[in-house]
Amino acid sequence: MELSISIKKKLPHFDLDVSFSCRKNRLLVLVGPSGAGKTTIIRILAGLDRPDEGRITYNGEIWVDTDKNIFLPPQERHLGYVFQEYTLFPHLTVARNVAFSADDKRDIPSLLQRFNIWHLKDRKPDKISGGERQRCAICQAMARRPRLLLLDEPFSALDAVTRQNLREEVRKLKRELSIPVIHVTHDISEALYLGDDVLPMVSGRIVRKWMVQFMLKGRPPEQEKFSEDMEGYDSHDRRDISVLYDSLEVMQ
Amino acid sequence: MRQYISKMLIIGFIILGLSLPAVAGEKLLVAVAANFILPSGELTKIFQDRTGIATEATYASTGKLFGQIVKGAPYDVFFAADEKRPNLAEKQGLADKPFVYARGQVVVWTAKRTLCGATDWQTVVKNPEVQKIAIANTESAPYGTAAMIALQRAGLWDTLKGKYVFPQSVAQAFQYAETKSADVGFCAYSSALSDKGKKGCFYTVPEAPPIIQAACILKGTKNRSAAERFVAFIQSSEAQKIKEKYGYR
Amino acid sequence: MDMTPLWLSLKLAFMTTVVLVIMAAPLTYLLVYIRFAGKSFFEALLTLPMVLPPTVLGFYLLLVMTPQGNIGRFWKAVTGSPLIFTFAGIVVASLVYSLPFAIQPMKAAFEKIDRRLLESAYVLGLSPLSTFFRVIIPNTLNGLAASAILVFIHTLGEFGVILMVGGSIPGETRVASIAIYEAVEALRYGDAAMMCLILVPISYLFLLIINRLTRRQIYGT
Repeated sequence: MELSISIKKKLPHFDLDVSFSCRKNRLLVLVGPSGAGKTTIIRILAGLDRPDEGRITYNGEIWVDTDKNIFLPPQERHLGYVFQEYTLFPHLTVARNVAFSADDKRDIPSLLQRFNIWHLKDRKPDKISGGERQRCAICQAMARRPRLLLLDEPFSALDAVTRQNLREEVRKLKRELSIPVIHVTHDISEALYLGDDVLPMVSGRIVRKWMVQFMLKGRPPEQEKFSEDMEGYDSHDRRDISVLYDSLEVMQ
Repeated sequence: MRQYISKMLIIGFIILGLSLPAVAGEKLLVAVAANFILPSGELTKIFQDRTGIATEATYASTGKLFGQIVKGAPYDVFFAADEKRPNLAEKQGLADKPFVYARGQVVVWTAKRTLCGATDWQTVVKNPEVQKIAIANTESAPYGTAAMIALQRAGLWDTLKGKYVFPQSVAQAFQYAETKSADVGFCAYSSALSDKGKKGCFYTVPEAPPIIQAACILKGTKNRSAAERFVAFIQSSEAQKIKEKYGYR
Repeated sequence: MDMTPLWLSLKLAFMTTVVLVIMAAPLTYLLVYIRFAGKSFFEALLTLPMVLPPTVLGFYLLLVMTPQGNIGRFWKAVTGSPLIFTFAGIVVASLVYSLPFAIQPMKAAFEKIDRRLLESAYVLGLSPLSTFFRVIIPNTLNGLAASAILVFIHTLGEFGVILMVGGSIPGETRVASIAIYEAVEALRYGDAAMMCLILVPISYLFLLIINRLTRRQIYGT
């Protein structure tokens, strides 16, 4: 099962232009400064936004093809999406939220237990903590047995301790799932902790895919390649890329 | 800020001044029953041109006008469509002795040509094609009361109960009939004689009591002399001819 | 004293409320969530009955509801009876008269819902229609209730429009407001006072309920 995306979209401050793919059992992280276009990509993957041109396919099934005027609505993509906030329906209890689109209602109790929120099942979202809400959101997405899981800065609004706990959970989850997972974050350490593939993004573009190699093999970028990467970026972006590279190097 | 306030005050005074009645010329405010609107329009115009006294008329059902007068509305003369209300006004000390100024009749009028040419009004209202009959409010409009009496005398009041529509005044009754919202209406004879009225047809209603319309000068008037001149004019033979033109005697 | 006008008023208010709340929900959805050309003109049109003097509204309704008018003709063709001077006719008039009062509270409530909730529903597989019933409605119940109550009391007090198109037929279109007016005209002040005495507490009670509902929204209980 592979997700493949290649899209372009004109945004207010820059043009989005990305191509990548993600196989099952792999967690791909899009990392970069705020406003780099990461959320837009996720929304386009989910079907909540449209690219100006491009293609998205999943396992051979065409989700988007601007040439052929094909667009599969979000309802039919059968994926899971965890937002940063406002994921849960305020009028429903935790249990009902998770059951909202559940494939098989019998899955729910085990899901709730696995994410440690079974004891909260009859509470409403406003009566549980932020971390618990995000756990519930993950359960809600998983209950549907999605073909693809999208996480859009799901932990950014939480405190450091909760964040770390939830990262652990996602890491464990990743090993169990046989679907592609795409995770968006602005936090480098989180990216490295979770990602099998890490795609740094600045101003709508992925800063060279061979960065992935760099991290897996632990080699710093060669000087020429470094300046090649900087081509096409303005000074502000170059600064961002430098910071990214430096942080990644530090993390190594 | 102070400039703004003073500007507002000046504008306010100007508006106030413009809305005050002219102190120099006299002015009359007359309350006139709705059915008398057309002759009244002509009569007040002649009076105004001749004497220079600005005369303004308010038209509504007799009951409504009486209610306003009881509450102190600043009319100078009250032209009702019955005698009852002016008499009541006199009894309550609100008016001088009333006098009859016109006699009207209630007719059955219709805009629907298919209903014309019948033998009499009773045949028309009994016609199953007639679904809605407009009758002015029987409590406060004298033409409505007269229509009700006619129907009662003809033994039809109860049998036709499902067909009645009750506009607030006889003028509205004519409007309903004229727009064919109602199939027929019990209207004032003067409406039947109007331009719009001539486009339809009417039937006399002998069972209906004549509408004896009385008027009175109100005690609260601030322009007694002007009011008296107006009343004298209304009762003149010249005015009489005009009234007859509109179907009053 | 004849209680029919009061029952008639309550019946009219109730019917108008039910029909209007159902009608207004999709209209409000359109206004809040869907972009289309001329939307602001459309919205202003829907708000018009709120700012027009009732007699102006009544006049235009009269024109279209008579057997010659567009709506009157259509009604007669479909049902065989006239629209004007009937209870159905004053319900139609009330729908127009109270429409903006149904839409405003609903619009405020719909707008408060975060788009991400709706997007979450779509991703979870719900069609926009299902989302409307399973997400939007349950989260705007207070707004819907406020709409309903506002329409109810507004219709209870309706006068000018009904005066023009009702015909004051006892038991059919002679509602309380008209009956009170006629009682005053006929100098039956006692009857008028009695009817007012009953109408005022009803309206007041409903206003209290609205206040409690909207307050709850603010404090989020």
